[in-house]
Amino acid sequence: MRLVPLSLGLLCVGLGVCLGQENAAEKRQRNPERAFQIGDADLDGRLSREEYRALTAYAPRLKASPQMAERIFTRLDTNRDGFLTRAEYAKIVELRPLMPGPNAPSPAKKARKAAPTAKADAPNTPEQVAFFESKIRPALVAKCYKCHAATAEKIKGGLVLDTRAGIRKGGDTGPAVVPGDLKESLLIQAIRHTDDALKMPPKEKLSDAVIADFERWVKMGAPDPRDGKAATVNKDIDVEKGRQFWAFQPPHKATPPAPKDKTWARTDIDRFLLTRVEAKGLKPVDDADKHTLLRRIYFDLIGLPPTPEEIEAFVGDSSPTAFENVVDKLLESPRFGERWGRHWLDVARFGETSGKQVNFNYPHAWRYRDYVIAAFNADKPYDRFVKEQIAGDLMPAASDKQRAEQIVATGFLAIGPKSHVERDPLQFELDLVDEQIDATSQAFLGLTVACARCHDHKLDPIAQQDYYAFAGIFRSTETCFGTIPLIQNNNSSVLIPLPKDSGQRPGMEPLSPGARKELQAQINDLRKTRTTLLKEGKLQGSPQGNFTGVRLATLLARLDLFEENGTPKKLAMGVRERSKPEDSPLYQRGEVDKPEGTVPRGVVRVVSRSAPHISQGSGRLELADWLASRENPLVARVLVNRVWLHLFGQGLVPTPDNFGAAGQPPSHPELFDHLAVSFMDQKWSVKSLIRQLVLSHAYQLGSRYDAKGFEADPDNVLLWRMTPRRLEGEALRDAMLAVSGQLVLSPPPGSPVSRFGEGPSQVLQRAGAFDARLNCRSVFLPVIRNSYLESLSLFDFPDPGMIVSERATTTVPAQGLYLLNNPFVIRQSERIAEQLLAKPDGDSTRILLAYVRIVNRPPSDRERKAVEGFLASYPSAASGESSRSTKDAWTAFCQALFASADFLYRN
Amino acid sequence: MTTNPHVSLLSRRTLLRGASSGFGYLAFAGMSTWAAEKSGGPLAPRTTHLPARAKRVIFLCMEGGPSHVDTFDHKPKLASDDGQAVGRGRAAGAKLLGSPWKFRQYGESGVWVSDLFPEVGRHADKLCVVNSMHTDIPAHPQAFVQMHTGIFQFPRPSLGAWTLYGLGTENDNLPGFVTLCPPVNNGGPANYGSAFLPAIYQGTRVGYNNMPVANAVVSNLRNPKQSVSAQRAQLDFVQELNHQALERDQVNPAVEGVIESYELAFRMQGELPKVMDLKGESEATKQLYGIDESETDDFGRQCLLARRFVEAGVRFVEVCHGGWDQHRNLKEDHAKHALAVDKPIAGLLSDLKTRGLLDDTLVIWGGEFGRTPYGQFGNGRDHNNKGYSIWMAGGGVKGGLTYGRTDDYGAEAVENPVHVHDWHATILHLLGLDHERLTFRYAGRDIRLTDVKGKVVKGILA
Repeated sequence: MRLVPLSLGLLCVGLGVCLGQENAAEKRQRNPERAFQIGDADLDGRLSREEYRALTAYAPRLKASPQMAERIFTRLDTNRDGFLTRAEYAKIVELRPLMPGPNAPSPAKKARKAAPTAKADAPNTPEQVAFFESKIRPALVAKCYKCHAATAEKIKGGLVLDTRAGIRKGGDTGPAVVPGDLKESLLIQAIRHTDDALKMPPKEKLSDAVIADFERWVKMGAPDPRDGKAATVNKDIDVEKGRQFWAFQPPHKATPPAPKDKTWARTDIDRFLLTRVEAKGLKPVDDADKHTLLRRIYFDLIGLPPTPEEIEAFVGDSSPTAFENVVDKLLESPRFGERWGRHWLDVARFGETSGKQVNFNYPHAWRYRDYVIAAFNADKPYDRFVKEQIAGDLMPAASDKQRAEQIVATGFLAIGPKSHVERDPLQFELDLVDEQIDATSQAFLGLTVACARCHDHKLDPIAQQDYYAFAGIFRSTETCFGTIPLIQNNNSSVLIPLPKDSGQRPGMEPLSPGARKELQAQINDLRKTRTTLLKEGKLQGSPQGNFTGVRLATLLARLDLFEENGTPKKLAMGVRERSKPEDSPLYQRGEVDKPEGTVPRGVVRVVSRSAPHISQGSGRLELADWLASRENPLVARVLVNRVWLHLFGQGLVPTPDNFGAAGQPPSHPELFDHLAVSFMDQKWSVKSLIRQLVLSHAYQLGSRYDAKGFEADPDNVLLWRMTPRRLEGEALRDAMLAVSGQLVLSPPPGSPVSRFGEGPSQVLQRAGAFDARLNCRSVFLPVIRNSYLESLSLFDFPDPGMIVSERATTTVPAQGLYLLNNPFVIRQSERIAEQLLAKPDGDSTRILLAYVRIVNRPPSDRERKAVEGFLASYPSAASGESSRSTKDAWTAFCQALFASADFLYRN
Repeated sequence: MTTNPHVSLLSRRTLLRGASSGFGYLAFAGMSTWAAEKSGGPLAPRTTHLPARAKRVIFLCMEGGPSHVDTFDHKPKLASDDGQAVGRGRAAGAKLLGSPWKFRQYGESGVWVSDLFPEVGRHADKLCVVNSMHTDIPAHPQAFVQMHTGIFQFPRPSLGAWTLYGLGTENDNLPGFVTLCPPVNNGGPANYGSAFLPAIYQGTRVGYNNMPVANAVVSNLRNPKQSVSAQRAQLDFVQELNHQALERDQVNPAVEGVIESYELAFRMQGELPKVMDLKGESEATKQLYGIDESETDDFGRQCLLARRFVEAGVRFVEVCHGGWDQHRNLKEDHAKHALAVDKPIAGLLSDLKTRGLLDDTLVIWGGEFGRTPYGQFGNGRDHNNKGYSIWMAGGGVKGGLTYGRTDDYGAEAVENPVHVHDWHATILHLLGLDHERLTFRYAGRDIRLTDVKGKVVKGILA
């Protein structure tokens, strides 16, 4: 039976063939579960003899030897029922020796590592020394020392070639020279330029003669008369020095300065700002008029325009607390969380499909979205909000409801984009962890820790070791992201069932008995088709076979979304502890087949001196506590900066996603620290922070141009005025719906994605145009990665695979085409026109009302004249009927207001 | 502040006009925007790093992985050893499958082309066939994205977006990068996206690959209600309001940007349907592309549209024919796909030549990878990333050249291997762009199409 192990290996490996994929990692891909899933053609949870035989077709040697294949079947079928259960089939791995795992060095690798020490150098003969001195040393000096010698300005790849020890020890990738062994000598490979990844010297190939000299030299045992120890390449990051950087210094509350103008400042923020404005010889511009201010605070706090009544009330209210009252009312509105939750969802790269090369649905992702909105509405203390997203599952909970909420919060770690097609489970795991590190470090710390996956961070004092310490925490965590095994989905997982009294919304209508019956019938039909295809040998590799398989699996998954009685199961994406926490090796160059040692689980050292002690468990809870602590100099600053950015148009740190060396320092360091400290003092309340900012005098300034201010500070860094901003796609769409009276404020159940269920997202994408079909607020529209909703993406909706604190603002013709031609925009304009014309008002009142509703202020005389001129001369689109053409003209007018810069911008 | 490019379509001239009113120029000088770094706005034609050999690109994208050993990589030994077991590694037990098609030498150069491409074969002396391509992963999604963006691990700008970023456009009334009938899957929009580059560089999509291009529309190009004159009146009114806003604000680059972009939008909706309307083309031209013949109609239309787009000044046009993924039924299905594209491609090459466009238009043909020399399921071939063929023609490449070589069976590139990064570097080079200098700062790094790799393939440059 010597052949058996090999054949069985192939039985599993061969499965890659049916998917038409293979990669370097296929050796690790001997996964009986996967083979079982593919083999189980009728999905009855067991392999019939026929299915088993079909499976063996992928293992050429077994195919060639049916007898052996039958013997194996018999051996596996321990209960002799003629079928292989999952458990029985899984024993197949025991019929062969274990494959070397990623952590066990392969024999070849061992040999390579052992070689240099195992073979003692024989003394060099004079001829050998002469050869070295005449042929080898000059070439090394001329071609290699610049980057690979102790004298080099920067030693590349950890390799020094100026000593014998150095050349034998080699660099990051292994010994440069193994005496007598051309194949194992990386230097030889490098100079031959045969390996794309390793070509030295990088820009020019050495002449054939020189290469031949090196080969001869290695063959003769690489005689090397040079002495001296291999210079230890000091790659350690100086953490202590790194901590001197401003962002890693703890924030301190400073005493606000006293500006010259004693009357202007209303709050400490104003005192900090005005002092700087004065220092530049400038003066803040006049305050915004009441219409502008009201529109500003409405869009900034709830993302919707004020109604004509609200405008009238505010304009007519001359009490000193008029503005403050509006602010407090808006902060209490449920619309607040919908607006500010969306800002966080940009940061959390929220999406409801996997994105990447093959896009699978995440039908339960919306729960995280709802969690975020609720958290902002409830003014959940930000430190708690941070902790729950990292370790909510590990935090105590007083009720099932709270427990469910905290589990859903950890969806933050599960909703990122993923390459489900990846065939190497280890690669998938490391990529998943990498994405989690990237999201966690950027979202909470404003640091790009993920840069240190393959090498020490090039700019920030973050070592590769820090990265793998972090990675160990997430590798000891099980990420539950769902999806089902399908063609092109090689990585799926369970989801987390929520506790019974979770209080969570179901997200879907129940499944009626009739619908269940219909679903079951479809499933049965597909099973039959599948069996037929299997018999005809057309199941694998044919479009029909693929289609049937996918359809069957998605329908089964759909059925699985409901309890027996038809109520939808309540499931969440999230994380939980693995049974056995483990430290991660450090992967050289981030390559999965280059593990090295282990790095104890931990946090990024440079951020603070108070590193948590992780003894048991993954360390996630310790990480969460560390992240959200007052000792952490970044977490409050990063959040304060984002809030500032959403209200003032640019961050005090202009690079909100990067607080490292590649970012920019704060424009107002004392003010910034002052805010960070008071934010923490006010129990991390985001609402209090917002209130504090918008009640400043600076926030209430006009946005008018001022020649002197422009000359001295064109970017308005000093805040001598309010910076006007283009509204986001969500605000524009929601405002159009609100003004036309079509906006549905109650959130729809769950998400359209949950109704489409598991499977590839193409069906969902084809359904498309949810933004035109649904009249809910934009935050509740599905976020389908790689396929965005037009009304949002045209106005710079961020890539939901990226962590984005600050959206881009582009002005492109496609936006004009949308506003001028899109049926959605025309429909809203029509509604307003109808409403305006339905009342017995005169045109003058109608024009006023249209202006107040759409741009939230009365028109100027000139504007009124322009409107009257337009309405009088607008060509009647339909000939004849005058009421029709009147409506057309008013529709065109309302649409023109939607397209005007006054609507698109908030001043 | 490149992380947040406030790109507008402001031209330098507009800004300087504003300068006469007092501070427009200062606004310009002070705008810390990326737009300001490029004189004349983000789409203005730019000076190239190197002398450009081609001014524009037509990419004939063959999705699914057309088999090189059945098209442009002649392997006599594969035919003579047909049926032999390969006997090694993953392919253990698999048997070599000789090509069902005959290969012939065409033209003065004697470039080998199989009987799948008799029409393209007639243009052999224009073709520069690269038989030593290789890419990283033999799976469609990764390889397709890598072919378009250089790497598949992260969102990156596509080849067309980089091209437009590097060169700008020559027609202000049209988008600079158009993609016809791209696939929805295999990365979808990432293949014509701009990732972190400003949105203005992303490809304008026309249709999808699962529907005929004749039915494709560009969204929002036509107003469902208004006549053109009514809309012009409306737009004049919008612009009047915007000008009033501008006067009120004195200096407001954002509003100026809106005004400019609306004018461009209006011109585009007039121009784009004209370019896409094939009515004005003669019967002879349509025949040349195989339009109105059922097998070739769709791709013929795509190719003709591509010519019309580049003629009108569009910088990068991609057309797509999918379905080359023959794990089974190689003979029937490859024949079907080749038939669908052979005549249209030949027609395109002739037409470009006749119109004098071929000299400075780079035409590229290729898929995300090739196929294995051994058979699969008896009558198909599996994916092969280690060796495959693409060809280029026109601006700056040597015609009638066969470059690089795979082993005797076509399993692996063994002579002058050309990685996708090298191929990208070469395309940019032909356009006058140095792939190491065409960068964009993102997340603290100067990122480029070729990542940290790529070498210009000098051997194929004319």
